Amino acid sequence: MKLGIDIGGTFTDFVLFDTNSDQLFFAKTLTTYPEPTVGIFNGIRELEDKFGFTINKVNDIVHGTTLVTNAVIERKGAKTAFITTKGFEDVLEIGREMRYDIYDIFLTMPKPLVPRNLRMGISERVDTHGHVLTQLQKEELQTVVEELKRNHIESVGICLLNSFANTSHEQELGNFLAKNAPDIYFSLSSEIMPEIREYERSSATAMNAYVQPITDTYLKDFETQLHSSGFTGNINIMISSGKLTTIDGARKSPIHLLESGPAGGAMAGVFYGSLLEEKNLLCFDMGGTTAKACIIYEGKPEITNHFEAARVQRFKKGSGLPVRIPVIDLIEIGAGGGSIARVNTIGLLTVGPDSASSTPGPASYDLGGEFPTVTDADLVLGYLNADYFLGGEMKLSIDKAKEAIQKHLAGPLQISVEDAAMGIHKIVNENMANAARVHILEKGMDPRHFNMIGFGGAGPVHAFGVAKLLHVNRLIIPVGAGVTSALGFLVSPVASEKIQSHIAQLNHLDWNAVNDFLGDMEKEGYEFLEQSGISDNKASVQRIVDMRYSGQGHEITIQLPQGKLDKNCLPEIEKRFIKEYEFRYNRSIEGIPLEMVTWRVIVQGPTPQMQVKQFSKTGNTTDSYKGTRKVFFEETGYLDCPVYDRYALKPNEKFDGPAIIEETESTTVIGVNSTIQVDTHKNIIIDLQY
Amino acid sequence: MESITTFSPIALSILWSRLISIVDEAGTTLQRTSFSTVTRESNDFAVVLMDRKGRSIAQSSVSVPSFLGVLPMLTKALLEDYFPLETWKEGDVVMTNDPWLCAGHKPDIGIVSPVFYKKDLIGFIGTIAHSPDMGGVLWGAGSRDLYEEGLMVPPTKLISEGRPNDTLFAILEANVRAADQTIGDIKAQIAANDQGIKSLMKLMDENKLTDLQDLADAVIHASEKAMREALLIAPDGSYSYSYDTDGDGKGNGCHFEITISIKGDEIHADYTGTSGAHPLSINAVLNYTYAYTAYPIKCTFSPDVPNNDGSFYPIKVTAPKGCLVNAQKPVPLGARNITGNMLHSVVFGALAKAVPNQVQADCGSACWCIVLNGTHKGKEFVEYFFLNGGYGARPNMDGEHVLSFPTNVANVPVEVLESDIAVLVTEKSLVPNSGGEGQYRGGLGQRFSFKNVGEHPLNISLLTEKTKTSAKGILEGKDGKTGSLEIVPHRDFPPKGLDKLYPGEELILTLPGGGGYGNPEKRDKRLIEEDRVLGYIT
Repeated sequence: MKLGIDIGGTFTDFVLFDTNSDQLFFAKTLTTYPEPTVGIFNGIRELEDKFGFTINKVNDIVHGTTLVTNAVIERKGAKTAFITTKGFEDVLEIGREMRYDIYDIFLTMPKPLVPRNLRMGISERVDTHGHVLTQLQKEELQTVVEELKRNHIESVGICLLNSFANTSHEQELGNFLAKNAPDIYFSLSSEIMPEIREYERSSATAMNAYVQPITDTYLKDFETQLHSSGFTGNINIMISSGKLTTIDGARKSPIHLLESGPAGGAMAGVFYGSLLEEKNLLCFDMGGTTAKACIIYEGKPEITNHFEAARVQRFKKGSGLPVRIPVIDLIEIGAGGGSIARVNTIGLLTVGPDSASSTPGPASYDLGGEFPTVTDADLVLGYLNADYFLGGEMKLSIDKAKEAIQKHLAGPLQISVEDAAMGIHKIVNENMANAARVHILEKGMDPRHFNMIGFGGAGPVHAFGVAKLLHVNRLIIPVGAGVTSALGFLVSPVASEKIQSHIAQLNHLDWNAVNDFLGDMEKEGYEFLEQSGISDNKASVQRIVDMRYSGQGHEITIQLPQGKLDKNCLPEIEKRFIKEYEFRYNRSIEGIPLEMVTWRVIVQGPTPQMQVKQFSKTGNTTDSYKGTRKVFFEETGYLDCPVYDRYALKPNEKFDGPAIIEETESTTVIGVNSTIQVDTHKNIIIDLQY
Repeated sequence: MESITTFSPIALSILWSRLISIVDEAGTTLQRTSFSTVTRESNDFAVVLMDRKGRSIAQSSVSVPSFLGVLPMLTKALLEDYFPLETWKEGDVVMTNDPWLCAGHKPDIGIVSPVFYKKDLIGFIGTIAHSPDMGGVLWGAGSRDLYEEGLMVPPTKLISEGRPNDTLFAILEANVRAADQTIGDIKAQIAANDQGIKSLMKLMDENKLTDLQDLADAVIHASEKAMREALLIAPDGSYSYSYDTDGDGKGNGCHFEITISIKGDEIHADYTGTSGAHPLSINAVLNYTYAYTAYPIKCTFSPDVPNNDGSFYPIKVTAPKGCLVNAQKPVPLGARNITGNMLHSVVFGALAKAVPNQVQADCGSACWCIVLNGTHKGKEFVEYFFLNGGYGARPNMDGEHVLSFPTNVANVPVEVLESDIAVLVTEKSLVPNSGGEGQYRGGLGQRFSFKNVGEHPLNISLLTEKTKTSAKGILEGKDGKTGSLEIVPHRDFPPKGLDKLYPGEELILTLPGGGGYGNPEKRDKRLIEEDRVLGYIT
């Protein structure tokens, strides 16, 4: 048996896969503070009670949590110091000196995670080629340690200039700390992010140090409690790149956990894609405050190395702390059920990015929310059922929704409440479609070549509208749409990713040196997999390099050919680079040599296969048809729209849109000109006609 | 509420954000495919989408404000005096670096492409980027006249109906240092324009538009209206301010006088009284002066509404012909950014008297520029890098430390600089006590020091500012600390101009802090204590 556990801000989700019966079981509990493990065991007990299994039968647990992200956003990390080359202590605060909004003179830049009084410089210097210009001064190290102790520092980030070219000084410092201050955690930039650009590397290192003590304590606790409850299996942790690491790996580099939840969602997309034989999918996930989208191309999620955590202005590029770690390439926009709609200063209707969040929430929650939100519009349009929100746990007030829309939008714009509600629904769909379109185009792909999968609380309400705007032919609303991240955890492979910076022109490469370090990285990868019980012959190796035209500052990622590299590989590497460059920028450049910058070796275990025979919520024999209700569609106005019960849908059931399908966590809204089919797993497959 | 031409508030909202994402996407292409540190690391470029009349409709979000203002003026001038509407063909690309038409000095290359949709010319897309070199003396304040500043390309078709103008490319290549960087960046600009055109085609198709004109009218009208409404609220009156800057930093300074008149929904800035043309190449043409005067006005009155041509209609800028901010041929213009970067100080200074809660104190700008030229590993290079001073304090908060304003250029990372050329950076740090005191403190400046560790002297062009003057505090706030430069071993070094940095020599640059806002006596004691703990003040 395999168990996926995802701790989110509000809910902790569970997915249990019984490998004997090939059945999937779902559960959801409230996340508990300050000890999330309490919620975990609540959920495990619920699963045990409901489905009659015991934790000691579970062989694998895969876990992900928002702990790291929240610690950074809420600034609740450890008391952290930062050590760097003397004279460069302020690099972490100065950043790149550029504003993220050119007209807002009242903007604020993100505060560094380590304040100025806790940043220390030491005498040492390495040049760009890795030659040591100034040796580390031993006596200074002793002073530094005393300073750390005096300030009760719990964790230290260490980032020395040019350490990507020579790691020895950072290593020495680390060894000295391990020996003389064994209680203090430390993070070395050469291990966390060995890449050129001191600010970005410092930022990632400081962040790792900042979250390390709390992550370490939490994971130790998690592990101990599981073991004392009788669990004897293997534990893996989900990381941002859609892969799994070990508990030790996560404790060492906790920043890799930053996007573990969303990465799980993307990997669930991969799983459903293979289940439904859809190779190219746009995953669309919409919740209360944000919507996320990512693409699965040829059955794989797209990965990026550019990521920002804890943005001052959540949706403004450049307003966060940069972290160059491999992350599933997700776009996030301020569009969720709680997004507030208003008329702006120039008389245009706009939606988001600010959200009414859960308190006071949308006007229809009737908890004091003044402003109309996306949820309010969805209610007015008949998409949501006032009596069946969250399975009836919460009553919605349609009067409050109408009142807010009338007062703030319909009145000022002199349009009807319904038109205003439709406007909100359309604008939020447009915003999401727009962002998804740009995201796909940036990768040189065509949005029309993708089918779409929608999940999250508000995802199924809006997925049809977004799909239509993107001219998507098929939309899938999967079973288990409420626990997708935890499901994704179970289908992600264990992997190690090693990074090496080695800047050299392609035609001047020292192939022996390259083969040596690639070989070492590969070996380290195999050793890492062994810790999760994966033998070498089950592992696959991927070697990639970030390349550019010499003189450019931005790289693109190329797969290296297999085996030992030598100058005979030149034409092939060149060919791959040019193909990718032309794909992205519609041109290539003649006469400029190519340059290799960062090398990565990913050693990966097999992707876990789940041949699902049955999903847990079955057995309902009542009629799926619940009757009709008034629903507003742009093409038709209000009409009597058939409403179905998701849990009562039968495999292979077929009907035409428009239709509403209700389930506890969400509602699927399907417009006109569409056909709906329920597959054998009870996924809803919607074909759109144009 | 007044309706906006034929688009519903919903449709317009949707299309407008699409237009902005199109130009942003083009900007990403430019940055990712360019070669010079100016463009790829520091973002010294802009992309603007214009209608058939050359009016800007949408612009890249995080760009250099001056370029954004200038591109539509350039396109309008091209249409009027060089290439009338009917002469443009699909696949054309026009280039010019004429300072009076384009961005005020020769290194800024304007590249404008027509946008055709189903055989009809529907608009233009343009980019301006700071090219690494245009020949002549090394870029900076060191040229004695316009002709020393290198090659000038009057508006010329760089590409005609898809066919490259090989002669022009050859002339460029023969005249500039590190030609593959300059040519590479020009091609990146063309690629960016092409990318923008491609995306715009999709927008037209998907929304079944046949023309951009109605949409252009609608967004331009909306931005104009927002600006006018904000001006209408501001108190009418005439507000003056005067301001001095370093000039050559050796006694021949510059003096600015401004009178801003707000009347109803219009605003007029006049520079009468400003000093005459400066012998150093820091003179600004009127286009450029306009852009850098309109920019702080936009920040003050209408920061939230996307910028386009309409934002400019209520703004008038005048300056006596031949003065520092209305330069005439053949005065040298190379480092006119030093002057342009000061105009926000003058504008905010005057506007503080009208709308004190909508302005900030003076910043430790202009941004300092360092250009190094020599050979590295057998190859000639021109390496640019920029340094920013402290940000001015705001009515409700301190100024940020070391942040670009009014231009918006990032630094070149120390490690990138050291890997590109043979220099060793010896310090990059905040300068304590450099922020002007006030109820809110100005941001700190920075110290940046580097050494030539190569075997050969480096040609260096340096542009510094506020080494003799300072960033002014406003409304009783104190001035920021003046900057300085020093060379070790000690010798004379021009604060603006050309010199050499010999092997072993170290240049120590200390940038000014921002000005304070409001009376320092009113500063919260807890903020003072925090500044002390963090070492921002000692």
